[in-house]
Amino acid sequence: MVVMNHSETGPARTAESNNSFRPDAVPRARHQMAAVADLRWRIFANSLRTFHGRLELASRIFVGIAFLAGGIGGAIGLGATAWYLMSSGDAEWLGALLWPVFLFWQLFPLMATAFTENLESASLLRFPLTYRSYFCIRLAYGSLDPATTVASFWLAGITFGVAAAKPRLFPWTALVLLIFAISNLLLARMTFAWLERWLAQRRTREIMGILFFICILSLQLVGPLIAYYGHRKKSETRIFGQELSVAQKPLPPGLAAAAIARASQGQVGASLTYFLLLSLYGLAFLWLLNFRLRAEYRGENLSESARRKPASAEPQAFSPGWNLPLLSGAVAAVFEKELRYLSRSGPMLFTLVVPLFMLLVFRSPGHSQGLFAHAPELTFPLGAAYSLLLLTNLSYNNFGADGTGLQFFFAAPVRFSNIMIGKNLAHTAIFVWEVALVWLGTTVLYRPPSIRITLATVAGILFALPIDLAAGNIFSIYSPSRIEAGVFGRQRASLTTVLASFGIRGLLFGVATLMFWVSRRYENSWIWLLAFLPPALVACATYAFTLKGLDQMALNHREDLISQLSRM
Amino acid sequence: MDSPTIATENLTRRFGELVAVEEVNLRVAAGQFFGFLGPNGAGKSTTIKMLTGLLAPSSGRIQILGRDLITNTVEVKRQIGVVPEGMALFGRLTGPEYLNFVGRMYGLDRQTAASRASELMEFMQLVDQPKTMVTDYSHGMQKKLALAAAVIHGPRVLFLDEPFEGVDAIAAGTLKAMLQRMIARGATVFLTSHVLEIVERLCTHVGIIHRGRLVAQGSIEELRAGVEAQAAALADTTTAVDGPRERLTLEQIFLRIVGGARSADPELSWL
Repeated sequence: MVVMNHSETGPARTAESNNSFRPDAVPRARHQMAAVADLRWRIFANSLRTFHGRLELASRIFVGIAFLAGGIGGAIGLGATAWYLMSSGDAEWLGALLWPVFLFWQLFPLMATAFTENLESASLLRFPLTYRSYFCIRLAYGSLDPATTVASFWLAGITFGVAAAKPRLFPWTALVLLIFAISNLLLARMTFAWLERWLAQRRTREIMGILFFICILSLQLVGPLIAYYGHRKKSETRIFGQELSVAQKPLPPGLAAAAIARASQGQVGASLTYFLLLSLYGLAFLWLLNFRLRAEYRGENLSESARRKPASAEPQAFSPGWNLPLLSGAVAAVFEKELRYLSRSGPMLFTLVVPLFMLLVFRSPGHSQGLFAHAPELTFPLGAAYSLLLLTNLSYNNFGADGTGLQFFFAAPVRFSNIMIGKNLAHTAIFVWEVALVWLGTTVLYRPPSIRITLATVAGILFALPIDLAAGNIFSIYSPSRIEAGVFGRQRASLTTVLASFGIRGLLFGVATLMFWVSRRYENSWIWLLAFLPPALVACATYAFTLKGLDQMALNHREDLISQLSRM
Repeated sequence: MDSPTIATENLTRRFGELVAVEEVNLRVAAGQFFGFLGPNGAGKSTTIKMLTGLLAPSSGRIQILGRDLITNTVEVKRQIGVVPEGMALFGRLTGPEYLNFVGRMYGLDRQTAASRASELMEFMQLVDQPKTMVTDYSHGMQKKLALAAAVIHGPRVLFLDEPFEGVDAIAAGTLKAMLQRMIARGATVFLTSHVLEIVERLCTHVGIIHRGRLVAQGSIEELRAGVEAQAAALADTTTAVDGPRERLTLEQIFLRIVGGARSADPELSWL
């Protein structure tokens, strides 16, 4: 055995090392932040080298203009409303303006993750960052969020609206709304930081997914609730409004509104109290964010490595794959793999029941027969259309969840078109299941759809689905986006794909609506059915045609595809 | 002479201005355990990607088992097994599900795929984790699973990109046992690795790529003899060397060929 004699060389080497390995300078926080900003810029600039990157930039410019318009338009609208409320002595109602700002700021980044940029903390923690620098970088990322930018515009609009009505309130309003903005920023960052922690482990990720979908579904109830209360007598609505007003007061938007309203009434003490309470919220969010980020900074271990089980003495026999008679082995294998993948995603399972839930929502208590009271025949086709929308993340980003596994598809002796057929069949199976659920739901909740409407809807599906799948296949190759379950904001298709899918669906639904309008005008639903059949044939032919070209298309884009989906 | 199992003719790949692989002419005979070596960025991964159809060559030809890869893609792929960089696993499947899936993609029937999956899980010592998803496997387990998937259809040629990277001695032992089994039944193994000790122990033949060009190719003995002859010729012109020379290791051969041995570094005075 060879044993090194440390005593001979150790001390001298250590003494020398102490001098030679002294770092040149203590890293400064602002230099580190500038380095991170520079890194982001370079990543962005380098992304433009690829076609996908340029396409993404074009989409971002388009979306950026839309956000800017929304921000400025909202600021003008909210400013004018704030001016009116202050001028007419209804300062208490400022809460009604601050609540939408608050909700947008907090909910938009969660619901529209394609627009959200997020930072992987682990990549930063290997550098000698002080905790303060780390905290500031994490916070700075939040301020680049579109929701923060738009909401800041809106708050500025409200500030100027209040100042226009009562100029002496300008400094106070600006201060209150600044604290309100900081609280919002901290709350949004805190929510993200905690969500990331929960998303880091599969079990909590699944629970989070389910809770998230319940929240999204609950939001669908807002419309029916408004309809319900909107139909009540004025006095009842007023009482409800007053109750709501009391309930919202202790929350940040209510406190900010109350601080401004009391100041406008000359109640300095009360105004200060509300301001302090609002600041306390900000501090609480700061503390919770700090608590989470400090754990990240210390290098918490969220490992999910499998626990080793004692090896069994008997060799285990594994069940063979699914037997799908009409499909070739490879297509059946892809079909099975897709459904297995999807069945292990909590949010996906919830997606399956969403259309049924929507039918329940539309059958709101405010109407005797729900939203479809005026056109009950629309229930089934609209439900089917909604089901098609739910497929976006699957069918327009076919390889998103495959990650490095995509390389296997290029290495395997299978034509790419066959892989796409397997994936498309899996998505179609989910869609058919959804449509069947909608049909059953319509039958139970409303009335059975007539044969004509059922056939016309099926014809409509035969028109829309092949086009949608064909477009989805092409976008999956041209604009792929890796879905990372553990990183918030990386569970969705790319922005380009999302916009393109909206455009294509808009076109498909537009055509369907036009045909429906014509059939209603001539009071003959059969026209709808007949009108859909030729386009359905064209759509099927288009799908078959694009499928033929997919092999070459995938080969031509394999480098982009692999680098987009396989990168670490 | 039999036609080689793997043959390339002026294989070239450009990325814009950069020529990553330049006119490489490889010859790997049937049954060889071939190690493809080179410094970082030399073009090893680019070459293996082209040989397995993951990357299109800019020019040149590739023949695997006597067939052109570009014109007979599917037929060639049926005969080869690949463990690419990143392993190409599907994280949300369990080990047996993944092997089943791969087997069926390579044309095995359901029963055969299932029974081979079971045997491979046993051989790779993964059998105690049948319900664990691949994403939850350790790195070594993932490497073993990737190799199991690459051999499930009994390929005649196996391409492995850095199969021993980040793998502990126990897992490496399992991988080596599997590869030697493949060689014993007449398969050809083509692997890239930075671990030259492993390559020296396993491989019969090596190819060395440097700055995109194939600078040496042959059996390890041939390469050793070449390098030693070159060194002897150089020594004759300078000073005579007395006594027997030490047998060169693959690492020394490699360093002499790619010129990687460093002289005293005047730079980095601050370190």
